Amino acid sequence: MGPTSRRGFLTAASGAAAGSLSGCIGGFTSAGVEGETDGGNDESQASTTEGRTERGIPLAGSQLPVEYDFAELRDEVRDGGPPKDGIPSIDEPSFWDADEADAELDDRDVVFGLVRNDEVRAYPQTILAQHEIVNDVVGGEAVSVTYCPLTGTAMGFRRGETEFGVSGDLVNNNLIMYDREIDSRWPQVLGTAISGEFEGDSLQEFRLIWTRWVAWREVHPDTEVLSTDTGHARNYDDDPYGSYVPERSGYYSRDSTLFPPLGDDDTFPNKHVVMGARTDEGRIAFEKDALRDGGLLSGPVGGTPHLAVYDPALDTAYVYRNPDGASFSYEAGNGDARVVAEDGTEHDPADLPLDRVYAFDAMWFAWSGFYPSTEVVQ
Amino acid sequence: MATENVSRGRVGEAVSRTRFAVGVTLRRRDGLAVFSLVTGLYLIAYLWFSNLLTFGTDDVGVLVARDPLTTFFQQSNNAMTFEPVALVEFGFGTYLFSLNTFIGLGVALLVGLNLAVTYIAWKQPKACGIGSSSSGLLASVPALLSGAACCGPIVLIIFGIQASSAIMTAFQWLIPLAVVLLVGSLFWIGRQVNPAQV
Repeated sequence: MGPTSRRGFLTAASGAAAGSLSGCIGGFTSAGVEGETDGGNDESQASTTEGRTERGIPLAGSQLPVEYDFAELRDEVRDGGPPKDGIPSIDEPSFWDADEADAELDDRDVVFGLVRNDEVRAYPQTILAQHEIVNDVVGGEAVSVTYCPLTGTAMGFRRGETEFGVSGDLVNNNLIMYDREIDSRWPQVLGTAISGEFEGDSLQEFRLIWTRWVAWREVHPDTEVLSTDTGHARNYDDDPYGSYVPERSGYYSRDSTLFPPLGDDDTFPNKHVVMGARTDEGRIAFEKDALRDGGLLSGPVGGTPHLAVYDPALDTAYVYRNPDGASFSYEAGNGDARVVAEDGTEHDPADLPLDRVYAFDAMWFAWSGFYPSTEVVQ
Repeated sequence: MATENVSRGRVGEAVSRTRFAVGVTLRRRDGLAVFSLVTGLYLIAYLWFSNLLTFGTDDVGVLVARDPLTTFFQQSNNAMTFEPVALVEFGFGTYLFSLNTFIGLGVALLVGLNLAVTYIAWKQPKACGIGSSSSGLLASVPALLSGAACCGPIVLIIFGIQASSAIMTAFQWLIPLAVVLLVGSLFWIGRQVNPAQV
């Protein structure tokens, strides 16, 4: 039994060091509240599940938050260099089992983990850096696993009967996907089409876990892992942008961006990592280092307290709506953590008795550029 | 009409003199050596800057893309880069074969010719009938241009340079511009050759 330390006690409504940033440009309805479909321990299941299907594409019931006019966003679209599909999506993925992956990956390699309908998969960052989109079927469901190296964002979307591809364009340096059904343009972070027939519609999104291979394998020894047999001849040992191993380097650590960001908020350096959540009520960003240090952080979103809980097992965090200001304590040790409610019940960080909201890792410039109204908790 | 004939005559003479200069250069052992060395080194540098040639692996093997014929002409990072169709691991490095190898080879041949002719002109200008000794060094300018073009926007990311739409557009024209400049500089050297002096 390893040492256990009580790292924090939260009176949720108080909110730790939350600062409100200026300039909410517009209020929008949102389908961004995560629906926990089948159990909180299934850390990647969270998704927007209510909605409709049009032209074979599952759409969210209402629009995700967007803080700009679509015309303004279209004006900010930049040609990123590659032509359409110049960065080719992986459309026929193949997988290693965990032992095969172990022989190929460094323990410290970043992977994006997904659990869906009891099927467990991980997608190595070094492969996604050269393809950005994997059109996969996981747990019997057609999904797109997407990653933008320039904004440090990994997000999952239901894709129905279509596939998504890389348009080659960027907005706020973020990948703009296109659907192969009618060629609408979908900035990844927004999850919402800014042009084309689907303009204003949002996709049904779900959580990917940004973690390291050693951690994912430990928690999910039965995982499959996207292999380098992608159908393309690429050197996956060579990430053209930089590296996350052993530490962030190259583009991932340098303050400069490829194109000027949408915003100029200097609360953090551009590439500083936050975990952001966006809901109808507002936007909030939790500094990831502060989460690692504190275990529990709280901040208001449109007046409603939200609680972020760090999970050391996967080096990630989960964000919950906590409207009643329930109090929790956080006990960490042995590379694991438990969250204890006021009534003494213990919970996994991914499974608090609260409504979990969709949250994801992002570089600060990307988050604050898309969501300048964001609250910040550090 | 008379002006047109004069122009045609000058172009024809420049082509003729350039062919002569290239012929003289490649017939000489030292000229051929400079040409081969520069061409080879430039091609390796081009592939390395393009991330098509990397070093530092001990694996050996060959992997071919699933649909190589279609893939061969598929554009990749920018207008003048193409998707690799084969990955070759050769024990201490990795080579990605694509249409860019041929583009790089074409540019490398032009750079090699420019510098080899310049070398011969510098070494023995009288014997070869070549007037100027430094003109071929101009080849380094377009060579650098094409070197930057091969990597497209990645070169901006590597060096942390912020891009603009104008820069991204310019990238598409760097290789064609480099080829035009290389051919132009070769003719510029060539037209100074006087076969009568040889």
